[in-house]
Amino acid sequence: MKIDVEKSLLWTATGAFLLFAVGAVLTTVVPPMVNPEMWTTEHTVHEYTEQEKRGIAIYKSEGCVYCHTQQIRDLESDQRRYGWRLVNAPVSSSWEYVNDRYNFLGTKRTGPDLARVGGKYSSEWHWAHFKDPRNMGEKFPNRKGIYEKVSIMPSFDYLTDEEIKDLTAYIQTLGRNKNWRVNAEGQPLNDYEK
Amino acid sequence: MKQDTAAKMMIISACAFFGLALTMGILTALKFVVPTVGDIEYLSMPRLRMLHTNINLFGWLLQANMGILFWILPRILHTKLFSEKLGVAMGILYNLTMIGGLIGIATGHVKNVEYGEIPSPFDYLVAVCWVMFFINVVGTVAIRKVKYLYVTVWYTLGAVIWTTFVYITGNMLSQMPMVDGTNQANLIWFYVHNAVGLIFTPLGVAIAYYLIPKQLNTPIYSHKLSMIGFWVISFVYVWTGAHHMIHGPSPHWLQTVSIIFSFSLIIPVMAVITNFFGTFATAPRGTRMNGPIPKLLMMGTVYYIFTCLQGPFQAIRSVNEITSKTDWVVGHAHMALFGAFSYYAMAGVYYVAPKLAGRKLYSEKLGDLHFWIMTLASVPFFAVLWIGGVIQGFAWLNPEITFVQSLEALKHAHWMRFFSGAFIFGAYFLFFYNIMQTFFGKYREEDEAEAVVAE
Ligand code: HEC
Repeated sequence: MKIDVEKSLLWTATGAFLLFAVGAVLTTVVPPMVNPEMWTTEHTVHEYTEQEKRGIAIYKSEGCVYCHTQQIRDLESDQRRYGWRLVNAPVSSSWEYVNDRYNFLGTKRTGPDLARVGGKYSSEWHWAHFKDPRNMGEKFPNRKGIYEKVSIMPSFDYLTDEEIKDLTAYIQTLGRNKNWRVNAEGQPLNDYEK
Repeated sequence: MKQDTAAKMMIISACAFFGLALTMGILTALKFVVPTVGDIEYLSMPRLRMLHTNINLFGWLLQANMGILFWILPRILHTKLFSEKLGVAMGILYNLTMIGGLIGIATGHVKNVEYGEIPSPFDYLVAVCWVMFFINVVGTVAIRKVKYLYVTVWYTLGAVIWTTFVYITGNMLSQMPMVDGTNQANLIWFYVHNAVGLIFTPLGVAIAYYLIPKQLNTPIYSHKLSMIGFWVISFVYVWTGAHHMIHGPSPHWLQTVSIIFSFSLIIPVMAVITNFFGTFATAPRGTRMNGPIPKLLMMGTVYYIFTCLQGPFQAIRSVNEITSKTDWVVGHAHMALFGAFSYYAMAGVYYVAPKLAGRKLYSEKLGDLHFWIMTLASVPFFAVLWIGGVIQGFAWLNPEITFVQSLEALKHAHWMRFFSGAFIFGAYFLFFYNIMQTFFGKYREEDEAEAVVAE
């Protein structure tokens, strides 16, 4: 029997589905099977507290991900830019994200990457920054000048005080899975809740 | 129920949603230069952006495509739509779902799925509408009065099948409790990329495959190329999602696979484009560019080439290092969804609306004006995003330049984007006015008579 695909609804549909299915399965189902670090790990990974989880929900509904990525790519330029006191930031690994119920890896950097921002600033700094990124007040004089002119981060002034605290608590966890910020003796600083 | 009611309803509401989407777009662009305008929760930049993408993708583009196909499919298959009632019911449900979903987004009830922020239950309702569309498409093909399936039908069938899986994976499976971290990211990028590649590409190409030969009154250039284009795209497109994560924390092999397949995409795209240009080239010279429809189809095809050559180029690891995460990508996405597929959809609306209204288009001149303003504004619009993206990319390589300094360098680019975007926005109103006049306006009766004879 000669099959004329172009006359047959069934054959066109089945053909289109099967060709698609090969790639679909190999790129969605297979990766977590051959790379279990995409969902499980032996490393200790930070467990989010209730407050941090509320922060995650705010991060999601405020859409921070549309301006901020959370991944240090395997590139010297990323590592150096998002490093701290001349120490390069470690590259992000798959396992660091296994407890992230919602991933915020992101695709657009209108603002800086946040994967390693935890502990870099005090919570008081974040408070002032969320209130108004263009005018953080007298306490942070190094934020004058250029920031007032070009920071295009929205002010999240409309969040309640509680919400800003929750959000900050979450931001301070970012990057702690690789305890990379060390003091002069090379000991991990572990100062995320400051 | 009166024939083509569903098509008419969906096309009209799609055109209205297009305006809303562009409003969100222009506001987002404004926020990039004056971040303090409209400093309230519902108008914060991320909310506007999510509204902009979702209204464009679902309210305008998908809905316009479905409406146009509701008209085209029965014409190609020499039959009636399988069920007009089902079509109308779906159109109503779809629009209500959109409104619900958009209110959800505006109030911050969102999923962490790019292009799929619409929260449940509305995303599930979109899926229900999709199944209704599926039934209507397959039903119409089943009751056809012709033997052969034309290319447009292949692509439509492909799209309804593929999209079912792509949509469910991105919007439902990615949200399941055991799916998190980079695994979730992978599923979401599978969706994001294939929303463009396996929803809007095949639907747009399906429409162009009908309109180009019809409008130019010239048979399609090569049947073989149509086949190559379709079967190769069915196989290669779906593999490319992971190219959103190049250099990132996802398996290296997966990234490499996505890069290789991004390159193979050149094959089907070139097949389709050669076919379209071939048809243009063999069409009667004097009249082939008359009116807005062939112009939009031609320019859409040009933009389609550009996007599809950019795609593989950006997927090269060393190029990706510069362009990824910058404004460049925004330019790229706009050229695909606005430049190529919205142009095809607008051509489709210009073609189908007069047929639905039973008379000529209100004004060809106005249509031409709309085309020229939009096109001349879109060139600087895309260009400034790419140039800005490259500036940004190189600035980030230089450790001497702080992040805010790199932002300062983009100030002009962002202003340019706003102004060129404003022209695009303005041109939209010419389009909308023209279509609304065609449907509802009063104009000279002899034109009307002529159009009916031409039918
Ligand atoms: C319109 C894009 C935009 C959005 C949306 C946005 N930001 Fe920002 N963000 C920026 C820009 C630009 C900067 C750099 C200038 C500055 O520090 O104000 C920045 C800086 C930051 C910084 C300081 C990073 C550093 O290393 O100096 C943090 C922390 C931050 N944003 C968190 C957030 C959070 C949390 C949200 C969501 C509630 C958010 N941002 C939403 C654009 C944005």
